[in-house]
Amino acid sequence: MYALRRLLYLPFSLVLLSLLCFVLSSYVPLDPVASSLPSADSRLSSQDPETYDRIYRRAATRLGYDKPPFYVSISNAALPDTLHRITRPTERKMLRALTLDAGNWEKVAEYYRVLKAVAFTDVNSTSSHDEQATLLARRLLLQDDPEVIRESIDGLRSRGRAHHLTTAHTDIYQNQQRQRLLWPVVRWHGTGNQYHRWLSNIFAGDFGISYLDQQPVIDKIKRAVPNTLLLNALALFIIFALSIPLGLYLARRVGTRRESWITGGLFILYGVPSFWVATLLATFFTTPAYGMDFFPSMGLGSVPVDASWWETVSVRGGHLILPVLCLSYPALAYVSRHLRQSGTQELSMPYVRTARMKGLSERKILWGHVFRNASFPLVTLFGNIIPGMLAGSVLIERIFNIPGMGQLLYVSAVGGDWPVIIMLVMINGLLTALGLLVADLTYAAIDPRVELNRPSLTQVNNR
Amino acid sequence: MENNKRKVGWAHCWIILLVVLAVFADLIANDRPLIACVNGELHFPVLSTYSDGFTDQPTHQKQIYNWYEQTTDWAVWPPVPYDGSSPDLRNANYRSPSEVQQTGTFARHLLGTDRLGRDVLASLIHGTRVALLVGFGSVLLSLLIGVPLGGAAGFFGNTGLRFSRASCWATAAGISLGLPYAIVCLLPYFDITNLSAQGFACVVAISVIGGGIYLLLNQFRKFRVDVSFPLDGIVLQILELFVNVPGAVFLIAVVAFIEDASLTTVIVVVGILGWTAVARFLRAEMLRVRSLPYIEAAYGGNISSWRILFVHALPNAIGPLLVIAGFMMGSAILLEAFLSFLGIGIPNDLPTWGSLLRRAREQPSAWWLAVFPGVMLTATILAILRIGERKG
Repeated sequence: MYALRRLLYLPFSLVLLSLLCFVLSSYVPLDPVASSLPSADSRLSSQDPETYDRIYRRAATRLGYDKPPFYVSISNAALPDTLHRITRPTERKMLRALTLDAGNWEKVAEYYRVLKAVAFTDVNSTSSHDEQATLLARRLLLQDDPEVIRESIDGLRSRGRAHHLTTAHTDIYQNQQRQRLLWPVVRWHGTGNQYHRWLSNIFAGDFGISYLDQQPVIDKIKRAVPNTLLLNALALFIIFALSIPLGLYLARRVGTRRESWITGGLFILYGVPSFWVATLLATFFTTPAYGMDFFPSMGLGSVPVDASWWETVSVRGGHLILPVLCLSYPALAYVSRHLRQSGTQELSMPYVRTARMKGLSERKILWGHVFRNASFPLVTLFGNIIPGMLAGSVLIERIFNIPGMGQLLYVSAVGGDWPVIIMLVMINGLLTALGLLVADLTYAAIDPRVELNRPSLTQVNNR
Repeated sequence: MENNKRKVGWAHCWIILLVVLAVFADLIANDRPLIACVNGELHFPVLSTYSDGFTDQPTHQKQIYNWYEQTTDWAVWPPVPYDGSSPDLRNANYRSPSEVQQTGTFARHLLGTDRLGRDVLASLIHGTRVALLVGFGSVLLSLLIGVPLGGAAGFFGNTGLRFSRASCWATAAGISLGLPYAIVCLLPYFDITNLSAQGFACVVAISVIGGGIYLLLNQFRKFRVDVSFPLDGIVLQILELFVNVPGAVFLIAVVAFIEDASLTTVIVVVGILGWTAVARFLRAEMLRVRSLPYIEAAYGGNISSWRILFVHALPNAIGPLLVIAGFMMGSAILLEAFLSFLGIGIPNDLPTWGSLLRRAREQPSAWWLAVFPGVMLTATILAILRIGERKG
């Protein structure tokens, strides 16, 4: 039952996450339509603005950017419900600012029509002040401060084409209707909106096109995921393979000098930031600068196509040793310390004394009885480790230059490539949620005392 | 016991040292003298950078921009006469701490320089300020959101909080109608651009609309009945929704989305992501505290339940909460280093521990760039862990 409820939460969380990303993506400085145009077309923007505008609008319609952003919109009555049809973000901003300043959309739309007509005439073939008006109009299409617009229009000599512009502009302010701003309007746009389109594309398996290199996002992610999974799976394996014996060993020898040294060492290991260690290792052991060039440098290495499996393993292994080491040691220290603590606690329990009285060997007591009871926290730790490891692999992949999801996230974040970022955030969210779910379910499976219908209170410190 | 005390002392000393470094960073490492005498006239160059903010009147003294070139009668320089962000081209191109340096009469670059000759020690000192700013700021924000929500949720549970039905509905309607109205209509109409004025307008709109609806609903008997408010349930649902947000990955995404991200953006995002830990912990703690006998006694003494929560119950949870806050500060500092190491979100010219580590990657043979910031970071994290462990 509990699993079912958690599973029900999952889509809600993901939708919330996708909404958050979607809202954030509208703040991206990059213009998605412009970056989708071939570079030959973008060069037109200064030479032949009219043709460029037409190409731009066609591209925007194809990509669905002429649709309203969301199912509902709330605005004031002064703003029209068709503002989203203006596809250029800068022009939309300009019209919005003017409408909010004066309140009458009709006159602003008229001004916009005149402005475009003036801006899109050919510069060379006309007289000098017409040319001046055209150049100004092109600048005004990008200007969203009403104060500046007014000043530059006032500075224009009202002759020829400039006359149309000045009359259109004064018309806006002579027929101000600012009171319309006070009336709120809620508009329902139906399913023909950008968010719906984006979401249904995802369900159809189309994750969009990367802005940076025009490749399908899904291909990029498909290439990156196996590397990250390999890295994290190896690290997880090492964590549990080493920390369980180590933790139990420490628990049995609590109070001895060797135990206190190892525990102290684990404490320090846990506190040392792994990206620093990774930087140091990468600096000292993969570059010839210090004469200790023991490991192959960056990347995953290249494996020839017809290589034997042993060759593949040795090449990949050589490249993976340091990254896996850096990724696993903080969690290794964390888990061992936890296991030491719970193991110590269990060893003082009456049932251990009973087992000893029965004549069981220490090994049997430790592995047959104590281990099972002491390992309950391990399962919750497993759920807590996963988000941390995914975050850690961003840095580790960056430092060792491994082409995984972390590296992809970094490259996309620097380039503002939001279709990729959004999908990576969603995939990470999904993996985090699955990790937590598996941890909870396993916990219930191995410890019958646990009642899952009470929400867990243990996930306090999920570092 | 003796042993433990000594170790705690080490960790506390380190944290205090960091705070001192952060607060007095300008006095400890600066590219201008503390006091200087030029042609018989006294200058206070470090202090004047502060006073510039307070007074608008132009000083009669002529501005001196490069104090290194200035001949002075006498001058008292800070212990580290560099500021970590201005280049020193005579010592550029990665001078190691032990190498020959051309600093003239000034102190050596004790921990070396980077490609542009920026002093590493001074960068570390100014980086301390950034690290602690992010740590304190984000944890403070997390506490501001998490303590009221988590504390009230755990303390009142699903039945402890009772309001009249009218006030429940009026609050809900006030927020869901008043806030959009203020944003969509009032802010553009009155052309409010100031952030605090915007907040004020929103509060006014919410309270006017909410109050009106309350007066209206209160006319009906059906709405004057008290109902219990399921605060705990609501907070838990929000927590469950937030569990699946992958913190660090989401942080990178947000910072990448925002055009000119600054330190404030990072602090706000880290703080907002951190509130769930606080709320979750405090909720559990309050579930324990509310069944303690002295709380029952306080109820018997006819004290209002909000007063019991804030004056009697919450102080009881402060100790463990501080430990959690310490851990969160550690991870916030790590996140800041993480971001500036990647070079995302934190302004590029700001000297931080993480950005020094990033520069170390550009030149592997400059070991001093890699080692010293890492030592600072590690010592800070270990100190926080140590203090938390002793207390927790």
